[in-house]
Amino acid sequence: MTEPSTPPHRDKRAVLSAWAVLSAATVLAWLLTPGESQSATTVGNELVAAIVVLGAVKSRLIIRYFMEVRHAPRRLRHATDAWLIVLWLTLLTIYLI
Amino acid sequence: MSTAATRPRPAERRLPGDVDMWVMVLGDLFFFGCYFVTYMVFRAQSVDEFTAAQRHLNVGIGVVNTVVLLTSSLFAALAVIAVREGEPRHARRLLLATGACGVLFTLVKVYEWQAKIGQGHTMSDEFFSFYYVLTGVHLAHLALGLLILGVAFRELGPLRARRATIVEQGVLFWHMIDLLWVVIFALLYLMR
Repeated sequence: MTEPSTPPHRDKRAVLSAWAVLSAATVLAWLLTPGESQSATTVGNELVAAIVVLGAVKSRLIIRYFMEVRHAPRRLRHATDAWLIVLWLTLLTIYLI
Repeated sequence: MSTAATRPRPAERRLPGDVDMWVMVLGDLFFFGCYFVTYMVFRAQSVDEFTAAQRHLNVGIGVVNTVVLLTSSLFAALAVIAVREGEPRHARRLLLATGACGVLFTLVKVYEWQAKIGQGHTMSDEFFSFYYVLTGVHLAHLALGLLILGVAFRELGPLRARRATIVEQGVLFWHMIDLLWVVIFALLYLMR
């Protein structure tokens, strides 16, 4: 096996911070979303844009910190970023049109 | 397992896990991406029906399951660090905690399915047919993930080689399950 690229205590702090931000972003998205009883049909374009941004940030944190792509070769970093951008932009565009 | 004590230089960049697992992960991400876009296209064709059906989902249950899966990923990431620190027993305990969160996620999902079917939301509704297929295929991946975690757990047992790469790969697959769920959660529960 190759050497890990950062000391363990720094890796531990990084994954713990990523988990805290991910959980907070999940709860934030929940607070932003109106409840079942509210009458509006769709949640609105601004809100969906916020949900998409939060979703994209969460996905990137999982890829970079949990999957350790932040230490990976450039090609993998670019491939995962391309997937993220294409996916979330496509989802948002279809929602908006 | 030895540890590096200096910051990484670009030359020290390495692939987490191995190439075969990354081919599988990137392939899965591509196919799930296609499912997600297909769902969104069908949704765009009947926005009102989909939005009305989406309102029957309990966002609170989705949030609980998201946090459960994120926590499982935290345990899994810590397990990899423990293996690198040369603490296989601690890593085993962390993998058990990861698996326990996976089982909890499954139980909550089954409860949610039961509740929705009980309310009459079946495959006959277009939104719910997407809901059952997307969450079902995801749950099948999670079941496979539990099996792969089991292989990593066994690898860390006494009298075993305790290869860190096996644990890294199992955990990498597990993080993918978490990643896909984050998209499914936003798509089905929040974007309505």
